[in-house]
Amino acid sequence: MREHRIRALLLAPATAIFFVLFVLPLAYFFVISFWRKVLFAMRPDFTFVNYGQVYDQHLATLAFTLALAFIVAVLTTTLGFIYAYIVRFKAGRWGPALLFISLITMFGGYLVKIYAWMTILGIKGVLNTALLALGVIDEPLSWLYYNAGAVVVTLVNFSLPLAILPIYASMRGITDIELEAARDLGAGGWRSFSDIVVPRSRVGITAAFGLTFLLSGGDYLTPQLVGGKVNMIGVQIAAQFGLIFNWPMGAAMSFVTLASSTLVAVVALSLFSQWRPR
Amino acid sequence: MRGLSDIVWRAIGGLFVVFLLSPLVLVVLFSFTSRAQSAFPIESLSLRWWEAMLADPRFPGAFWNSVIISGTVGVLSAIIGTMAAMALARLEPRRARPAVAMLCLPLMVPPLVLGVTLLTFYSKTHFPMGRQTVIMSHLLFTLPFVVLVVFARLRNFDYRVVESARDLGASPLRAFFTVTLPIIRATIVGAALIAMSLSLDDFVITFFTISGGQTLPIFVFGMIRAALTPMANAIGTLILVMTIGTTLIALWLTRYRG
Repeated sequence: MREHRIRALLLAPATAIFFVLFVLPLAYFFVISFWRKVLFAMRPDFTFVNYGQVYDQHLATLAFTLALAFIVAVLTTTLGFIYAYIVRFKAGRWGPALLFISLITMFGGYLVKIYAWMTILGIKGVLNTALLALGVIDEPLSWLYYNAGAVVVTLVNFSLPLAILPIYASMRGITDIELEAARDLGAGGWRSFSDIVVPRSRVGITAAFGLTFLLSGGDYLTPQLVGGKVNMIGVQIAAQFGLIFNWPMGAAMSFVTLASSTLVAVVALSLFSQWRPR
Repeated sequence: MRGLSDIVWRAIGGLFVVFLLSPLVLVVLFSFTSRAQSAFPIESLSLRWWEAMLADPRFPGAFWNSVIISGTVGVLSAIIGTMAAMALARLEPRRARPAVAMLCLPLMVPPLVLGVTLLTFYSKTHFPMGRQTVIMSHLLFTLPFVVLVVFARLRNFDYRVVESARDLGASPLRAFFTVTLPIIRATIVGAALIAMSLSLDDFVITFFTISGGQTLPIFVFGMIRAALTPMANAIGTLILVMTIGTTLIALWLTRYRG
């Protein structure tokens, strides 16, 4: 009984923060997505007008965002898998150093990295000046920057550590004994890879894909800063809280984005859980 | 044959390292350029942009806001997260795991959505916005990390030492401060530092909940939008030194050895 009370007391602040600053605001945000903006105020209402407008005006942007986030998540997860594979099986004594680099890049510099890609890919950027100096090109390449490709590169760059770490964490559970046993039983390299390494990394791959997909689908700074005219749903949501000043609309867009990206992630991951490499 | 595949794997690993690190290295390098553009060739090294940063009237406010916010977030999330992790570690794993997963839910929501949700909420409740709202909002995404790290440490904690202290007559609080805390102190400090570096680095949630104030990332954002001067590199480097510095100390304290 006493222990029960102590436990409740210890959990109280964390639970309070979770409910007061997460559940409650999201619930209120959901409610106002059915309100309407009248002049510069929000008027309580129960209307699906905002959701209808998301469908009419932002469906293409949303579909494009989900497709781009999907590409980013597939690329990031694949690269993260290769990186984790190198750390675990191929790098030998360099493994810890590689893992260390991915940890360091995880916690530092979201905005700094986006800014860095602006200076790398820009017309007068590092890549163009280097290629010009080397004589590879005669005039700066304009297609490096302000397009979907630049957005993908930047998003992959700062999401990669988020994919490496969970995949490595699940690969660490694979023992050399299992792999040797497989080899002794006659399994070739590909067979032990597809029957041991991939299935045993499944939890990490799932976490990596889900996280990078959800986070890049909701990003708005990358398209704004390196994307030029690339229009992602996040940019549109942020605009509702800036110049356009239509919070109910922004709320409806946020929930449509959350729901559709969760749906895509769940479908993709359940298909992946059926998949058996052969 | 063996040698060749080793070389190939090493080359791939090297490419990855270049891809991960080159953006950060370039920012640091360009913060020391004497030119007015962030581009090669760097004619000579100079502290020009660092001096410009220090001389900027917006800098002191942004710097101290960042220090105060991330320091408070670090301390608060360490205390609150440790309390929660201690309670959860005593539960059977079957019940503890869903609770930990629930506390991690805010990490699955894009920061943009969290930011605008909190902005709407604070403005509805007429909560005065400023440093305090940024600190409260940061706790949402720093707490899960602290809970995860301390929870993991407590999983292989020998509770017999606490029980002997209790048998010898120590109160629960006394047993905590004289026995448990000294054993897990390094882990808690490490978790607090990770929380600090996450808070220092955050732009999106801060932007929506600070209502006009400045932090270092917001200062950089202003610079990037206005013009691409190398001064943004100096502020960026300062942010990197602070976030990566705290991460390094955290890894060292939590006995990270690969």
